[in-house]
Amino acid sequence: MKIPDLIQVCLLCLMSIIVLASQQAVAAAPHPYEAAGTGYFRDGDTLPGAYLQYRQSSEYGGSLWGLGPGGGNVKRSSFWADAHSGVDSYMLRSCASCHEDQRYSLHSSRGNVTCVQCHRGQPISGINHYYSGMNPIRRHAYVCAKCHEAASASFATYVIHEPPPLASSTVEEFPLFYYAVLFMMILAVGVFALFIPYVTLWGLRELIGLFTERRNTDV
Amino acid sequence: MSSKINVRRFSLTQMMFHFFLIITFMLLSVTGIAWMYIETSWGKALATPFGGYVGALEVHRITGLILLAGFGIHILYTIWKVDWKHFPRSLFSRDSLVFQWRDVKDFILHLGWILGLSKGPQFDRWSWWEKFDYWAVWWGLIIVGVTGLMLYDPVFSSDYMPGWLLNIALWVHRIEAVLAMAHIFTIHFFIEHWRPRCFPFSATMFEGSKSIEHLREEHPAWVARIEAEGRMDEMLCPSAPVPLRILYFGVGYALIGLGVFLLVFALLNVGLLTLKL
Ligand code: HEC
Ligand code: HEC
Ligand code: HEC
Repeated sequence: MKIPDLIQVCLLCLMSIIVLASQQAVAAAPHPYEAAGTGYFRDGDTLPGAYLQYRQSSEYGGSLWGLGPGGGNVKRSSFWADAHSGVDSYMLRSCASCHEDQRYSLHSSRGNVTCVQCHRGQPISGINHYYSGMNPIRRHAYVCAKCHEAASASFATYVIHEPPPLASSTVEEFPLFYYAVLFMMILAVGVFALFIPYVTLWGLRELIGLFTERRNTDV
Repeated sequence: MSSKINVRRFSLTQMMFHFFLIITFMLLSVTGIAWMYIETSWGKALATPFGGYVGALEVHRITGLILLAGFGIHILYTIWKVDWKHFPRSLFSRDSLVFQWRDVKDFILHLGWILGLSKGPQFDRWSWWEKFDYWAVWWGLIIVGVTGLMLYDPVFSSDYMPGWLLNIALWVHRIEAVLAMAHIFTIHFFIEHWRPRCFPFSATMFEGSKSIEHLREEHPAWVARIEAEGRMDEMLCPSAPVPLRILYFGVGYALIGLGVFLLVFALLNVGLLTLKL
């Protein structure tokens, strides 16, 4: 056998090992998305009060020491099947005209996604209604995965209507968001607070220097 | 002495790193701002050369990876460049970019000179702002790089972290990028090209060398040190021929112009954004 042939054979062996090994791994462990749950009921879910653990609140979302989203107040209507029951002139107005805070999200303003592509079906349920598609146990499968293939439950904890990061209520609603952005803003403002006056004075100083030099050589 | 009036300051490799950074940085700036401003007609216009919104995002992602690869190579280069024989001490040599006590003194003296209170500092090879600019790229790239990789494929990365970290990653990425661009397009351009002693253009990073008169003013301690060590002859080189200098100027000002264009229009259009801080 020539040496190049040998290398080729080795490569082939290596490739088949990699292919076989990876297939075995897939067969042995549940697929991560499977493990994350895709919206069917589990045994515990039928017990009274069991749904509490899925409520979108500070307990959920894998919040790192409570630094994640989900804090702040939740309205009672958020647990209703029809969030708009009893809301006047609901049928006559556009979503955004009532929900100014949710009007611009990255999805609406840049992705051209409409409200009802995510908040599906009439009546629109409250976010925390147990059977809502927005329930964290199935949000990834019922809402996000329509567009984001293979979205996981973790992915679905991304906050679609993120609050303005430096609003004072954000400290409670999403603490790490607030502090991270605050830190970056201090960094950015600090750099410019130092450099802009510094550089302006510096330029003036050099200008004066050049003029006085010229005068001195003229004389 | 006649034609050799410049002192060599940067090696070809270093100039290539700088040029690579310029190109990737500008590409990322244009596509990134197009992304951020895609709601406005200016943002859409910026994205057009890349085939619109989707194309601009693709170019942004790939250029980001290329820049990170270059950064990786630069880290290896830096490690290779360290004088390991005299290791911890060599980090604090006068040719080193590591911040030292003398930079603090230089800064205070420089401020004193600006305010007309003292004589200016005698800068050695690197002034404090040159060191700042160098390390700013490091921390900037680390911040933008980590968050950029997180956002590269949100579905994939959220398997390894809670999805809501992406909300944070995007804002951190955005603020750091805006900080970097604003700094380069105002402060960096001003210090290196627009302040009276350098105006209108300094080609040091393209030529790799600078006239000895200028360096005697800006880096007197360095020039004196080279002369004292008797190395001046090997450091001297002729300045670039005129056609090349015209090319440097043209390329340089095209890039400076692009930066200023992005900055001015970003400011003009900022009111149209629906992002809220
Ligand atoms: C007439 C005003 C009005 C219109 C139009 C309207 N809503 Fe609402 N919506 C409300 C009110 C009031 C509530 C109760 C909670 C509150 O005060 O925010 C509510 C609640 C909700 C909730 C539940 C919020 C929660 O905390 O769980 C969702 C989701 C929602 N609306 C989506 C929509 C969508 C999508 C549309 C467009 C199809 C729409 N709304 C149109 C007034 C309106
Ligand atoms: C990409 C999917 C998506 C789109 C598009 C979307 N929403 Fe939501 N909405 C959600 C999710 C997920 C929540 C749960 C909380 C969160 O992530 O912000 C939510 C929560 C809400 C709430 C409850 C209050 C809150 O902020 O938590 C209201 C009200 C609401 N949406 C209204 C709207 C309106 C009005 C529009 C159209 C302008 C809209 N949504 C578009 C996914 C979406
Ligand atoms: C109707 C389609 C649609 C649905 C449903 C949808 N998205 Fe999106 N999403 C998009 C589009 C389009 C973009 C691209 C926007 C962009 O790149 O600027 C996007 C982008 C994203 C991004 C990336 C943002 C970035 O900075 O690059 C995240 C994270 C995301 N979506 C999360 C979600 C989550 C979580 C849900 C479910 C609650 C969801 N999406 C539901 C269409 C959708």
